[in-house]
Amino acid sequence: MIARCLAGTLLGFPLAALLLALVLHLLPGHGEAVLIPALILFFPLWTAFMAGAYMFRNGARAWLVMGGANVVVFAALWLMRLPG
Amino acid sequence: MKAATLRTFQTVHTWTGLLAGFALFVAFYAGALTVFHDDIAAWQNPPWLATADANVSNDRLIERLLSHQPDARADFGIVLPHDSSHAAYAYWEAKNGSRFATASQVDAPRTDVAENELADFVYALHDSLGLPVIGIYLMGIVSLIYGLALLSGLLIHLPQLVRDLFAMRVGHNLKRLWQDAHNAIGVISLPFHVIFAVTGALFCLFAITLAALNTVAFDGKLSEAFSRATNTTPTVTVSGIPASMLSTEVLMQRAQAEALKSGVSSFEPVYLHFVHYGDRNAVAEVMGLAQHTLGSYGTVAMSAHDGSVLATFVGNRYSVNGISYAALFGLHFGSFGGRTVQWLYFVLGLAGTFLFYSGNLLWIESRRKRRHLEQPRKTLVMARATVGVCIGSCLAISGAFVATWIAERLGVEAGLPQRVACYGLFLAACAYACLRPIAKATIELLWATAALTLLMALVDLAVNAAAMAHEWSPLAWRVIGVDLTGIALGIVFALFARAATRRAYTGDANSVWAIRPTRGDVAIRTERSQ
Repeated sequence: MIARCLAGTLLGFPLAALLLALVLHLLPGHGEAVLIPALILFFPLWTAFMAGAYMFRNGARAWLVMGGANVVVFAALWLMRLPG
Repeated sequence: MKAATLRTFQTVHTWTGLLAGFALFVAFYAGALTVFHDDIAAWQNPPWLATADANVSNDRLIERLLSHQPDARADFGIVLPHDSSHAAYAYWEAKNGSRFATASQVDAPRTDVAENELADFVYALHDSLGLPVIGIYLMGIVSLIYGLALLSGLLIHLPQLVRDLFAMRVGHNLKRLWQDAHNAIGVISLPFHVIFAVTGALFCLFAITLAALNTVAFDGKLSEAFSRATNTTPTVTVSGIPASMLSTEVLMQRAQAEALKSGVSSFEPVYLHFVHYGDRNAVAEVMGLAQHTLGSYGTVAMSAHDGSVLATFVGNRYSVNGISYAALFGLHFGSFGGRTVQWLYFVLGLAGTFLFYSGNLLWIESRRKRRHLEQPRKTLVMARATVGVCIGSCLAISGAFVATWIAERLGVEAGLPQRVACYGLFLAACAYACLRPIAKATIELLWATAALTLLMALVDLAVNAAAMAHEWSPLAWRVIGVDLTGIALGIVFALFARAATRRAYTGDANSVWAIRPTRGDVAIRTERSQ
């Protein structure tokens, strides 16, 4: 229970942030025109990850999957920011 | 969903509810009152008890400010009073922090907004439990936990949501009834609660979250993009050429005329902001409360010299970013629909306090030993905490009203008496709930709250009656409104006290809420049951 709670709270934060950054990056003009609505979505998204983490069978899986998701989204964002 | 997952969410809901419930009770009770912030301000200082400087004009305030604080010229604001019995005050940033001053205070400005305003103190209780610095972060975390409690509560209730929504099983099983009421209020006011969980977290944690997101995911570019998206002040350079400035009256009229072209039905100025006052390129911004838009606070930026409009952020001339940002405030403060929405927010706010209170009651009820007089220690502790904190904070806020009222009539500053009465009564109520048999403490604290609230409202009405008859002003309606609401709340507290008494003497004796029968009580009880 505690492990899943921590996974959702600690890994959910960067995951929500990275996902928003990724979506904004893909939008025209890097989504600057809808920056505020996107930022408003941050807390609901983080909360959803916190709740979602309890759907995993155990803490280890929660950490593994959510940690993996963080790495994947971070890598995608990093690749897209590469010039050219 | 699997039964095991449902049980997990049940645990999450219980824990998040317990963790956040107490602080949320205070935030919602104080928040429901804060809806009527301006009315409470008028109650404290009706026209016949106006604050100092209430009759000083805005232009006179600016003149005095700039002669005493010439450095403020580069950037200062004027917070307009909500009514004619309050004073406008200037706000500016000095080298070592914010400064606030009405016309007579400009030579020795304050570092706090308004320490004597009851309405602002109730607001501080709402947004930070009145705790300096950490309070706001604490409430931010509470908002987050609250969001999680809402989501988990909805998930566990989801399977029978539609079937049970309007079910009120009134009968022998009282726990069922409380559960039904808790669910119904939770689900029906869910949109309202979602608004508060989201905006509450944003308002309290925005600065640190923005800083964190900036480094975590936005490559350090978020802060700039954010200020570009929300900034309303056009950037200008100082020309160095002195020029005449338009009067605040003219600037407000221009702003109003401009705002009304943007699809809004009204625009009441609340705040003026000046940059490089006295310079040819000086900018004046007028912020106002507009209706017929969700982004209820809008801004018109003009040249302070000739009044030409530089930018308009009102109604349909807001960008998507601007209107979303403005709507956060409109939705949180319920300022978008006049009195109707204010009353709706007031009622929903009080319904919110019921949600948190009934949540704790349900926790106690599910752990009740039905066949024993002796109840588990943890339920007793919970009962004491719930009564002490929840009823204690209602009593404390009524106490703050009384202290303010007395201080105003004695002509002393109300800030300190307010806080002493509020925190003193709160701590006393908590101590009382810990020491006294809990059922008795509940009844007595409820009666005390009812009596204090009713008495305050009745005395205020009686004392003001003469002044109102002598010098009627439309503001008197606000005073009467606050007092009538106080009377209504007092009656509700009295009804709660009566219900708690009845439950203590005639309800199931195997409960923390029952009063242990003495020999005499047993006789009464048998008599009643026959």
